[in-house]
Amino acid sequence: MSTAGIVSSFSVLDGSIAVLSLVATLWIGLRVKRYIGTIEDYLVANRGMGLYVGAASLLSTEVGIITYMYQAQFGFVAGFSAFVVGLITLAVCLLVGRTGFVITRLREMEILTVPEYFQRRYGRGVRVLAGVLMAFGGSLNLGIFPIIEARFLAIVTGIPSQYLGWTMAALLVVALVYTAIGGMVSLIVTNYVQYLFLAAGTVIVTLACLRQVGWSGMVRAVEGHMGGHGFNPIEDLGVGFILWQVLLWIALMTVWQSVAMRTFSTKDAAVGKKMFTLTGFLFLGRALIPMVWGIAALAFFWGRSEPAVAPSAATPAAQMEQVDARLGETFRRDLDAGRLERALPQVDLLERLARAEKPRSAEAARFEDSARDRRGEIGLLAMPWMLAATLPTGLLGLVVAGMLAASISTYAGYFLGWSSIIAQDIVAPLLRRELSGRSRLRLTRVTVVALTVFIMIWSLVYDLPGPAYFYLQVTANLFMAPTLIAVVGGLYWRRASATGAVLSFVLGASTSLAYLVPSLKVDVATAGNLSWALAVAGFVAGSLLVPPAVTSTPPVGGAGRQEVRS
Amino acid sequence: MSWGLFWLAAFVVAFFSFTLISLVIAVRGVAEIRELFAALEEERRRRQS
Repeated sequence: MSTAGIVSSFSVLDGSIAVLSLVATLWIGLRVKRYIGTIEDYLVANRGMGLYVGAASLLSTEVGIITYMYQAQFGFVAGFSAFVVGLITLAVCLLVGRTGFVITRLREMEILTVPEYFQRRYGRGVRVLAGVLMAFGGSLNLGIFPIIEARFLAIVTGIPSQYLGWTMAALLVVALVYTAIGGMVSLIVTNYVQYLFLAAGTVIVTLACLRQVGWSGMVRAVEGHMGGHGFNPIEDLGVGFILWQVLLWIALMTVWQSVAMRTFSTKDAAVGKKMFTLTGFLFLGRALIPMVWGIAALAFFWGRSEPAVAPSAATPAAQMEQVDARLGETFRRDLDAGRLERALPQVDLLERLARAEKPRSAEAARFEDSARDRRGEIGLLAMPWMLAATLPTGLLGLVVAGMLAASISTYAGYFLGWSSIIAQDIVAPLLRRELSGRSRLRLTRVTVVALTVFIMIWSLVYDLPGPAYFYLQVTANLFMAPTLIAVVGGLYWRRASATGAVLSFVLGASTSLAYLVPSLKVDVATAGNLSWALAVAGFVAGSLLVPPAVTSTPPVGGAGRQEVRS
Repeated sequence: MSWGLFWLAAFVVAFFSFTLISLVIAVRGVAEIRELFAALEEERRRRQS
């Protein structure tokens, strides 16, 4: 068994490629400043975005290093079963693209943010409440990006950990500068260039994975580790999880602010629909391709390992104690040095012992949880360690350039998305006076800066309660369920009222919040589905109990400007 | 069809469509960006005048 750690072959050449790509992005992003005159130019590029640039912008915003990491982690822990999420994404994109469900009506209203619709339909209070929850959930969601992405960069480039904070700060500042100055116009142009880098990086890494372990190696690794569970998503993830994912992806594709902003920026509703059909296949790749990297990493490290031998203790409980103690001594060091082939069999052994002992001992559940958490930690870092071990100089620089492009475009897109919510839907309505276009522009730029500071701090203080994929989905779910329900209800149900919308937001958000408090130990699928069920129940009950004072036909297109309040 | 073959087919579709659409975006996107700049430039001139 190899005991030496992995050393990345990242060289000056690789560093130069990565830095040049960053400088080029910043230069392009700053060149467009002269086109920004109004808040419409700033937030939705004067609604002039075409189909292909729109698709590139949408995907590069929704793909960052963190996306690659959590999808790879999901593939590592769930095997091919994880692919079901990619198929759901494709199906939802095609459905939205073909029917124009929600997006066509919102695009025709010429709004800038989703909560703006709530003011037109339900009144100012609902707009502010939705804005607060969106800004809160969105910022929490964004808040773990830097720390996870820093770990990727540290592993792949070999940057010493004491410089990581500065590296991430530099990346955030690059994104901050051109987003704050050039807004959506900068984003569209830089996203296009970044997309080319990220697509090239994605293809290179996939080919490297296939060359390294091959498809059959991945199949063998999943069979050996997970058996049928690694292939059958219903057995592995359960119907509840799949149902929640369907609902969540419908919401993400229609009312998630950074996605909705791309819809609002298109030339017209027809381009918006085509953009979703086209990006459906890109979103399929966004999920499946990094999941394959995760499975390849499992096969790679499993192939280098030797089975762990159970200690010769008298009882199974004592055996579990000993393996857990051994892991406690070596796990962190092995993880930090890339010796995953040593950590993985130990974790596997602990999990096997705990599962066998579970029917007889309550204590076994604790060891099973401990093994699962450690497997999740290995899963998060296995893919970058594999890249560091296998990619040669030159190629490594191209891949890092692609990953940095993916990451910065995501920061930039999310900065603009969440800061526009804070400025347009929380601060401006609470001031209760009309702000000039220039003041709104300044306010949005200030919130971009504030948001950057927040995520740097949050990233340093928060401990994840489980896999990154679940955390990200639950923080999104905090407001996605009630937002989609209140939008769909408002568009298609005459009796929808502000009381229903408020109840929906309060009840929907509370369940997702429960998952984020580790001591409550709420299961992720339960939190997700309960959040949707309560959001629907609250919306229907509130609307029926306190109907709107003025009942009108559901607003369509320009007619959406009328206000209906309860 | 077994799950294994199904996931292989899904991956092949995902990888090749990602690569192909990315190539199309690379080629067609340039013209769209030019169009966007032209429209923004026209808007800027209109505002100035």
